[in-house]
Amino acid sequence: MNVADVWMIFIVLAFGAYIVLDGYDLGIGVLTLLERDDRRRREMYELVARAWDGNESWLVLLAVALFGGLPLAYGIALPSLYVPLTLMLLSLIWRGFSIEIIAQYRGWQRGWGLAFGVGSLVAAFSQGAAFGGLVAGVAVHGSSFAGGPFSFLHHGYAVLTGCGAVVLYLLAASAWVYDKSDGELQRRAARTGRVLTLVLAVATAACWALLQPAGTTALDPGAAARLAVWVPGAVVLAGGLAHAHRSFGRHPDAGPVAGVLAVYGGGLILAIGLLYPSVVPPHVTVHAAASPAGSLTFLLIGVGLSMPAILAYNAYAYWAFRGKLPQTDGVAGTAPDGVGGEVAAV
Amino acid sequence: MASRPVLSVAVSQQTLVELSQWQWAITAGFHIIFPSLTVGISMFLVVCYAAFMRTGREVYLRLFRLWRRIFAIGFGLGVVSGIVLTFEFGLNWGGFAHDVGPILGVIIGMEVVTAFFLEAGFLGLLIYGDGRISQRVMLFSACMVSLGTLLSVTWILAANSWMQTPAGYSLVNGQFLPRDWAQVILNPSFGWRTIHMLVGVLVSAAWFVTGISAWYLVRSLHLDVARRGLSIGLGAAAILIPVQMYLGDSVAADYVIPYQPPKLEALEGNWTSTNTGWNLLLWPDQSAAKNDWVVTIPWLGSAIAKDWSGRTPTPGLLQTPPRLRPMMLTTFYGFRLMCYAAFAMFATAMAGVILRLRRRLHVTRWFHRWLLVLTPAGPLAIIGGWVLAETGRQPWLVYGRLLTADAVSPLDTWQVLTSLALLILVYAALLGTYIWYVARVVRQGPEDRPVPEPVRAPVAPRPRALGAPRRGAER
Repeated sequence: MNVADVWMIFIVLAFGAYIVLDGYDLGIGVLTLLERDDRRRREMYELVARAWDGNESWLVLLAVALFGGLPLAYGIALPSLYVPLTLMLLSLIWRGFSIEIIAQYRGWQRGWGLAFGVGSLVAAFSQGAAFGGLVAGVAVHGSSFAGGPFSFLHHGYAVLTGCGAVVLYLLAASAWVYDKSDGELQRRAARTGRVLTLVLAVATAACWALLQPAGTTALDPGAAARLAVWVPGAVVLAGGLAHAHRSFGRHPDAGPVAGVLAVYGGGLILAIGLLYPSVVPPHVTVHAAASPAGSLTFLLIGVGLSMPAILAYNAYAYWAFRGKLPQTDGVAGTAPDGVGGEVAAV
Repeated sequence: MASRPVLSVAVSQQTLVELSQWQWAITAGFHIIFPSLTVGISMFLVVCYAAFMRTGREVYLRLFRLWRRIFAIGFGLGVVSGIVLTFEFGLNWGGFAHDVGPILGVIIGMEVVTAFFLEAGFLGLLIYGDGRISQRVMLFSACMVSLGTLLSVTWILAANSWMQTPAGYSLVNGQFLPRDWAQVILNPSFGWRTIHMLVGVLVSAAWFVTGISAWYLVRSLHLDVARRGLSIGLGAAAILIPVQMYLGDSVAADYVIPYQPPKLEALEGNWTSTNTGWNLLLWPDQSAAKNDWVVTIPWLGSAIAKDWSGRTPTPGLLQTPPRLRPMMLTTFYGFRLMCYAAFAMFATAMAGVILRLRRRLHVTRWFHRWLLVLTPAGPLAIIGGWVLAETGRQPWLVYGRLLTADAVSPLDTWQVLTSLALLILVYAALLGTYIWYVARVVRQGPEDRPVPEPVRAPVAPRPRALGAPRRGAER
């Protein structure tokens, strides 16, 4: 355990924070594509509008944590995932821009809503595809990537993980909407969420089972020793799915969110058990990719000093918007045409 | 992959580098438009809201609400287009990411944890907090967003300045490792360049506010808001523009001339070192190393070098070996765009001061029309300055140490071509929509009677019986 491992823990936490927080944003984006009713759709837009920007910050943090802390990994992994990551960036741009327009401007809600939903869907899919492409292995020559533009696909494995990410984010979105809304919107979230827990269970099993055929070698060496990590990870993940499935439609309303958090936690434990110590499997390890201690120490001091403040004001922002969505005629915006007058829900 | 003919590899390597450079130039150029407006507008929001809290006068709240709407989407665009840049360090410049990650990755990491999160964390409260947070918290949020943007500018300029004048590192196996963080961050060009950029974004926003306010005056609409906006914007610009011109001169004298002579040779547009004049316009032929045509003001070049006798020539690009020459066309016109925009703003701001002293500022129609024309001058000047700084640094990425061509990712040319085409398409659509949106917000104008909203309890009583009938849900 050296300073590179400490930094790796931070990277995993930033990754987790991103997929948990922006996961529900992207999932809600996909959910709006399935929602026919304008009012319910607008309630979902509001949930995203006031938080996406802060949530997306964790993606940037993840990127620079790799860039500054594991530059070799950053310089190899990103070119190898050029296609899915470029798609992700383009769709995240669409997503962010269209949600801001929806919040500030009343016209063309249909068109902007479609742009927002499709942007969220493509972003979620390409994130999953990129993750699958990375986990299944990257061809390396010297200190650079040595594969082709589509070698990340691994005979279609990345498509499977892409779909898996969409299902995961949809489940996270259902849980969040269930917690933050009431009435018909909440009932629908419960119905969708219950189905999604089952779909996600199947998708996770498929992703795990097909990992070896997809080409990864990480599973082979010392697989037995890794059981000590895999078993608890799988138990937490399965327990989270079961808890989420059971709590949709019951009190307390935060139950499914707790279940989804356990799913994320279990999934992360599994991923760590699968990959560590490699970070760009199969060849590049954390220790080979790490910046010198001088860089990592400086980063850790900076992160250590600012992280408490970051967590505090992010928590404050969530606290300020706590409780159920107010019953509103439109997205709470500042626009005169966005109808500012929300009614306090009593 | 490995069996490709050697010749085609060489050709496509050159194309790949150029395409990757174009992609960087376009994404960075698009990105800088938004910070160049939102950093200053965030400060303007702080000023307006503080003035409202202090005086209780409605006009300040109306200004605040109007500009907050323009700010919100511009800020969002700045964020998403900035994320693209962060990823491009690895996507298109994998070699760069590996070589400079231990230094630049760390600096940009500090930017993210200190600045980016601060902005993003308080942005939601600033934009959507009406009625949920008190006036004090609103002002505090505006201050924090503003502070975040300032910190962000500072860190990014530290990173870029290190690429211009690298310091405090040791080179081990082609990787730059930090030796002394103080020297890395406070590198020779950091101070002047950062202040130059900070004042630049403030001028740019002040000028934008002035231009939009002038539009209302031309149309005789919302006169109280327009006059207040014009006074604040033009006043700030009149003070800051002379300061900025002095700072720009210091950047040239203390960093370009001693550290990057080829950049100076290219930005003045001379090949031979004989010209004592100052070039207004020209068309260079880079491969023949001469200008096809040139329009010159005699004597001025020597005067700028502080030789009033007119006998000091400006050094020319022939002094630099051909493979280390930056492209003259972009370097020269980047600099000229910045200069000409600055001259226009300076002359206009001084005319504004004279009109103000004669108490004619708010009624001189031709002047308002002229201000309206000059609305985008600030971002244009900033883009020009960055084109100068970045293309004038070529062929180096890290000046004197790492060549741009050695840092590019081993991608297929068509991959970069496709992503470049898609980015251009998406960015053009975004920019078009943003301009349309700002025009629409401006045309709608400020709210007529803004009501400072009382703070309401935002919390619905919980737990609530699931499925209890909800007002308005059943139709």
